[in-house]
Amino acid sequence: MSGEGRLGGTALIVVSVVASLLLVGAYLAAGGSSYEPKQVQDPCQPRPWSNPQSLGQIANQFTISALDGAACQLGVSRETLAQGLATPEARERFTEQYDITDEKLAKAIRAGLVRAVDDAEEAGALSPLLAAPLRQAVQQIPLDQAIEIINDAQGFLGDVEGFLGPAGDLLEQLLPGPGLFG
Amino acid sequence: METSPRPRVAALALAVGIVLADSSIVVLALPEIYRELDTSVAGVTWVLISFNLVMALAAVPAALLARRVGPGRAAAVGLAVFAGAGLACGLADELSTLIAARCVQAVGGALAVTAALELLPATVGSERRAATVWATAGATGAALGPAVGGLLTELVSWQSIFLIQVPISLAAAVPILAVAKHEAATGVIEPELRETGRPHLWANLALAMVSASIAAALFLLVLLLIEGWRLSPIEAALVVSVMPLAAILSSKLGELVADARSRAAAGAILVSGGLAGLAFLPKATILLTIPPQILVGIGLALVLSALTETALGGRAPQAIHGGWTISSRHAGVVIGLLILTPIFTADINQQRDQAIEAGTAVILDSPVNPLLKLDLAARVSEQLEKEKGKVPTIEPAFEPKPSDPVQRAEVDQLQGELQDQLDRGATHAFSTSFLLAALLGLFALFPIALSRRVDL
Repeated sequence: MSGEGRLGGTALIVVSVVASLLLVGAYLAAGGSSYEPKQVQDPCQPRPWSNPQSLGQIANQFTISALDGAACQLGVSRETLAQGLATPEARERFTEQYDITDEKLAKAIRAGLVRAVDDAEEAGALSPLLAAPLRQAVQQIPLDQAIEIINDAQGFLGDVEGFLGPAGDLLEQLLPGPGLFG
Repeated sequence: METSPRPRVAALALAVGIVLADSSIVVLALPEIYRELDTSVAGVTWVLISFNLVMALAAVPAALLARRVGPGRAAAVGLAVFAGAGLACGLADELSTLIAARCVQAVGGALAVTAALELLPATVGSERRAATVWATAGATGAALGPAVGGLLTELVSWQSIFLIQVPISLAAAVPILAVAKHEAATGVIEPELRETGRPHLWANLALAMVSASIAAALFLLVLLLIEGWRLSPIEAALVVSVMPLAAILSSKLGELVADARSRAAAGAILVSGGLAGLAFLPKATILLTIPPQILVGIGLALVLSALTETALGGRAPQAIHGGWTISSRHAGVVIGLLILTPIFTADINQQRDQAIEAGTAVILDSPVNPLLKLDLAARVSEQLEKEKGKVPTIEPAFEPKPSDPVQRAEVDQLQGELQDQLDRGATHAFSTSFLLAALLGLFALFPIALSRRVDL
């Protein structure tokens, strides 16, 4: 073995170590080990409404609150429930995976809708005059209709406004305060 | 032997290159094969594992057989078997048929490769030169395999990977036939089978560990690119060609350092460093895979040739010891795949579920019209169910886009955010496996340190 060879060998090893450390260090510094999937929020924790202005924004928050309330009852995430209610097939898979009966699901979704009405009222987006009958109504509706309300909250709230709107105007004249939608 | 040395050397190098390329050539075709043959990721890895496993088991017996029947005849028969089994692979319409044909292909390949090492010293003039030609041809074949396989899969079909090997193998056999005829005419000199000497334990052990690491680098990177980042095979082939390119360009680097042990150690460190880089990719971007690939490429050029030379150095007969190196390399590939396949399969599923939940959170938290976003969540859910067990493609779930420009922009932004979650999740899913592969490469430093110092 030549002295030149030994020296070259050591230098080659040192260069290899330095190159490897530089690469790994640079990637770590750039956030290479920091990946964390977006954390999903505990559905049982309150999720404050962000001052909705239009019917669309109210419906948006209403849907989220209803999903949160139902997911909290079922002990799953809001995201898992949303996927589980997406289609009849998805619902079947979801109820089978989490061993949930139709009755339990209906109860949870009704509870979610009640929470959505409560949250809307608390945020000033829904008049107490409308909140009380709505709360009563959603506690009685069948499962499929309850799911339909979550899936089309805007349509539902639009219908309610359309149906109760004239009565609301009358009530507002008699009892000054916020309108049907806050 | 009547043929001139140059075509024979080229034919032998081609034979070694094409057989050793086969251990990795199907890597880029695996996603296509498992879609077409309707199997699973774990199932399709056996297309790769079976070949390497049989090569590992058959290499030394094949070398003994080559010495007994004559290397010329053994190489010619080996190449013919390799070509015939390649044809069967190309025509296979079931996974079991494909795997069986791959096993036969490996037997033929083992015979051809070990016999080639027995033929090369007489052709090139010295055992040392023969070992260099043989190791270089093998390393080049193994490194180029995935890129060539990817190109063929995209441009023609996965079957073409095997079918194209038929004429190439037969062409490589032609110059060797003259040697076979010569052997038939003159008879084979009975080899001294007892004077084989013991195989170089540490060099072969290091070779197995480094091969496990390199196989993992190729296999995992290809899966990340195709299944994780949804690149086409041709795009993935272009990306992973950085590795062989770096290996070829740096092949002269080894000549600057005499000590094989230092070259092997430096190579193992570079392979591990590159793999660790792939484990810590900061973003799902092709550009960021290039520096780690360069390190792996340079590392594999240094370590494979140094360890092969060490394992063969001063040992006779070359075919038997070459058989041991083939056996070690392919056993390493098998061990690497068997260890890492269940780990990354489980990680992919876990990350997929997390990414899907995170993606749904992105959709639900968006300001998009609730009817539209729940419809999107439903379509994404359906799409994910369709692609169960794979990293999902979400584009179809976002089609058709809303006609309203405001909603369309919101949906585009949502799709981007969801895709980002899935891409990052998929990238992260490979991290543990890349890190384990890097550790395997680093562990090879122990047998390398214990191997006898050899100047070449």
